[in-house]
Amino acid sequence: MSAHDESSTIEATEKPPIPAPLIEHASELDRRKFLKSASGLLLAFTFEMGAKGKAMAASAGATSTSITSYLSIGSDEAITVYLGGGEMGQGIYSGLAQGAAEDLFVDWAKVSVLPLPAALSWVTGGSSGIMRRLQTLRTAGATARQMLINAAAQKWNVSASSLTTVKGTVVNSITKASFTYGQLASLAATLPVPTTVTLVPNSAFQIIGQPVPRPDIPSKTNGRAIYGIDVRVPGMVFAVVRHCPTMGGTLAATPTGPTGTQVVPLSDPSGKLFNAVAVVASNTWAAKNAASQLQIKWTLPTNASTIDSTVFATQAQSLLNGTAPYTAEKVGNVLTGFGNTVKTLDLQYNLPYLAHACMEVLNCTVKLTATTCEIWAPTQAPASVQQTGVLLTGLPASAVTVYPMLMGGGLGRKIEQDYISQAIQTAKAIGKPVKLSWTREEDFGHDMYRPMALSRIQIGIDKAGAISAWSNRIVAPSLATQRGRVLPVTGDGQATEGATSRPYNFLNRLVEYVPHPSPVPLGYWRSVANSINVFAVESAIDEVALALKIDPLVYRQQLLVNDPRSLAVLNAAAKMAGWGTALPAGRARGIALSNAFGSIVAEVAEISAPVAGSITVHKVACAIDCGYAVNPNSVEAQMQGGILHGLSAALWGQVTFKSGVASARNFSNYRVLRMAEAPVVSVQIVNSNSPLGGVGEPGVPPIAPAVANAYAALTGKRIRTLPFFPGATMGEGGG
Amino acid sequence: MISLKVNGQTLQVDVDPSTPLLWVLRDVVGLTGTKYGCGIEICGACTVWIDGSPEKSCDVAVKEVVGKSITTIEGLSPDGASHPVQKAWVACQVPQCGYCQSGMIMKAAALLKGNKKPTDEQIDSAMNNVCVCGTYQRIRDAVKKAAGL
Repeated sequence: MSAHDESSTIEATEKPPIPAPLIEHASELDRRKFLKSASGLLLAFTFEMGAKGKAMAASAGATSTSITSYLSIGSDEAITVYLGGGEMGQGIYSGLAQGAAEDLFVDWAKVSVLPLPAALSWVTGGSSGIMRRLQTLRTAGATARQMLINAAAQKWNVSASSLTTVKGTVVNSITKASFTYGQLASLAATLPVPTTVTLVPNSAFQIIGQPVPRPDIPSKTNGRAIYGIDVRVPGMVFAVVRHCPTMGGTLAATPTGPTGTQVVPLSDPSGKLFNAVAVVASNTWAAKNAASQLQIKWTLPTNASTIDSTVFATQAQSLLNGTAPYTAEKVGNVLTGFGNTVKTLDLQYNLPYLAHACMEVLNCTVKLTATTCEIWAPTQAPASVQQTGVLLTGLPASAVTVYPMLMGGGLGRKIEQDYISQAIQTAKAIGKPVKLSWTREEDFGHDMYRPMALSRIQIGIDKAGAISAWSNRIVAPSLATQRGRVLPVTGDGQATEGATSRPYNFLNRLVEYVPHPSPVPLGYWRSVANSINVFAVESAIDEVALALKIDPLVYRQQLLVNDPRSLAVLNAAAKMAGWGTALPAGRARGIALSNAFGSIVAEVAEISAPVAGSITVHKVACAIDCGYAVNPNSVEAQMQGGILHGLSAALWGQVTFKSGVASARNFSNYRVLRMAEAPVVSVQIVNSNSPLGGVGEPGVPPIAPAVANAYAALTGKRIRTLPFFPGATMGEGGG
Repeated sequence: MISLKVNGQTLQVDVDPSTPLLWVLRDVVGLTGTKYGCGIEICGACTVWIDGSPEKSCDVAVKEVVGKSITTIEGLSPDGASHPVQKAWVACQVPQCGYCQSGMIMKAAALLKGNKKPTDEQIDSAMNNVCVCGTYQRIRDAVKKAAGL
C-alpha cells in the first residue's frame, strides 16, 4: 500500500515502458523448490532493475540485479504464482492472480499466489505492487498458455493455430477433443519458450476489471489471520522495548529488572547508538509493566534543547527566505512572468510532522541457533530484514529465513529495520526465541515521521487573468539525505513530488527545494510528499480562482483544456458531487485534483462547520483514473481508506517536539476519525485504458486541500496551516 | 492458578491476577484474534464479550472475570464463518489490513443481539472502535446487511 523505499520509488517514478520480462524455463533447482507436484511446467520470469535499483541492491550487498517470479502449472492442475510482494490488505495477491488468470484463460480462483523467500522479495510500497507487475504476470500467463497449446498440437499432431483454450483446457474445435492444462504441463515443460506472445486486449478482458472477492478476507473475520504480532514459537519469551524518550539519548547503564525479567541493552541498526532496552518476561504484559517501572539512566544529547518544534519553525522560515540550492523544475522565466503581472499572490503553507499509527504496533519474533536465524515479522521489505539478520548474526544469507507475516497496516513504517534489529539483538542476548513488541506509546514516540514542510507559492496574474508566473519554494527535511544519499541538482524528488509535474502547465514556472537539516528521524508516509505539496498547490489554485472571482471548478477546467485525462476525472468528481447545485444552509463544497503514482484523482468535499474548532465532512465524491481497474472493489476500498487517512491527518494529525521528546503518546493525543465522524465516500472509476496506475496512495493527497477549499468557500477564511485543529485529543468512545 | 471460562471452555492460567484479560488471552491462552491496539481503552481492537457484553479487554484485570463467561472472535461461531455478522463482513468485503476487525465484529454482533434493527445513528454510536484503514463505510453497510436492513 503506502510509501516507498528507494527501489519502489524508483519504480514509481521511472515511467513506463516497463521492461519486458525475460521468460524462461526455471532451473532444475528452482523446479524442485517451487513445483509442488513432481512434474509440470515452471516458468521463471525476470526483469532487470532500473539503474538506481541496481545501485541500491549493490550497496545492500546483493549480487542480483533482477527480480524473478515464478509461474507453475503442475500435472496435478495446481496453478501457482510465486511473488516477492507483501499483502497488507491492498489486494495485491488477488489482483495479480487476476492478471495471470486473464491471459492463461483459467478461472482466477484457480490461481494461488504464494510469497517468495525473502532474498527474492521486493519492497511493498510506492503503490507499485500491481501497477508494476501486472503486465509481467500477464505475459507469463500468455507464455504458459501458448506452450500448453503447443504441447497439445504436438500430441494431436495438428497446427497450434487451430487450437483454442477454454477454462484451463486446450480444445481442438474440430474433433472436440480436449486436454486439461495439467495433462499437458509436463510435455510443455520440454518445449521451447516462445519469444513473443499476444496479450488479451483491454476490450476483451474477462477477469481483469471484475470485483473478485479477496481471498485474505475470511480469515480476517474469525481471528485466524496471523499477523506478525500473533506469531507463537515454542519456548518463546516476550520482550517489550523502552527507548530513551529524548531523541539522540543513550543508555548510561543497563538497569536490572524485577525478578523474573531480563533487561537487554539495544542499539539502533547502525550498532553505534545504544538508545533503548528490551525487557524480557513470560508475557507481554509482565514485560510492559516491568519496562514502565524500570529506573533507567540516560545520557541526553547536549543539543536536546534545540530538538524543538519552535526551533524547527524558525529555522525553516529562515531557510525559506534564503537562497534555494536546488531547482526541481524550471520552465520559461518566472522573472519575466512576474514582470507582466497586474496582481500577485504570495502564499505560505505550513505542514507538520506526522506519525504512521499503524493499528499493529511494531513487533518481530526471532529464533536463533548457532547455525540458523529465523525471523517472523510484519514487514514491507523482507529482503532488508534478511540483510539485517545477516549483519547481526554473521550467518550467511542462506541461513537466515524470513517469514513475512500479515501486516496490521504498513503505511511505510514497516519498511524500516529498527524493530527487526532490536528483536535479533534480544534473541542473541537471552538465548531463547523471543517476540519483541513496542507499546503504542513507543510506536508514536519513536516513529520515523512524515517530514514537516513550508511551501511558499508566489503567483503572478497578468492582464488577461492568466497565471504568468508560478514560483514554488519548498523547505523540508530530506529523506534521501538522511539516508546517506547525495542529492542530484534537482534536489530530493521525494520532497518536491506533488509540486512538480502539475497538469496546469503555466508558461513560466519554477519549483525550488531547500533541504531543512533535521534531527527528527524521517520516514515514508502514505503518498510521501504528495501529501504535502498537493495541499499547497491545490489550495493556491483555489486562492487564485477566488481572487479572480471564478468558480474553482470552472477555473481548473480552463487550466486543463490541454489535459483531457485530468479534465475527465475532475468533471466526473464534480458531477458526482452535484457541483453547482444548491446545498443546505451552512454547507459548502471544495474541490482538488492530484496526479501521483500514475493515477489521477479528483475529490470534492462537502462540509459544514457549525461550531468553532471543528469541521464536519459529510460527503466526499472521488473520481480516479488509474488506467483501468484490475479489481474495482479494491480500488474503491483504497480510495475510501486513503481519503479517511488523509482527512484524519488534515483535521488533527501533528507531532511536535520539545527538548527532543515527541508529543504523540497514544491515540489520546493523536486523534483519528471514528465512524460517526467519517464522511460517506463515493468513488467513480474513470477507465481511460491508459497504463495502469497505483491505488494505495493516490486517494490521500487531494482531501486536505478539498476540505480547506470548502472551508474557504463556506467561511471566507483560508486555512494554510495543517492540521486544521492542532492539539486535538481523543477519549474512550467519543471523539 | 486462575480459572477462566473462554468460548465455553474452562481453562486454568498461571498469571499475576492483575494482568489484563487481553494479554492472558493472547500470550497465555493463545487466542490471538483479540488484538492490542492502544492499551488505554480508546481503539477497541481488544473488544471481547464478558457475559455477553462487549468490553475492552486491555483494561479488565483477569481476576475480575473469574466466574464470568468470555467470548472472543474465535468463539463467535463454531465454524468461524456462519455468524450473520461474519457472513456480512465477507459479503461486503470489509477488511483491509484487518487488524481492527475482530473488535469491530464483536462490537457489531453485540449491537445486533440487543437491537435487531439499529438506525444509522445507533450503528455509528455503537461502532466507535478505531480503524486506521478507514473501512467504516463498509462496516456500516455490513452491520445493516447482517441485520437484514
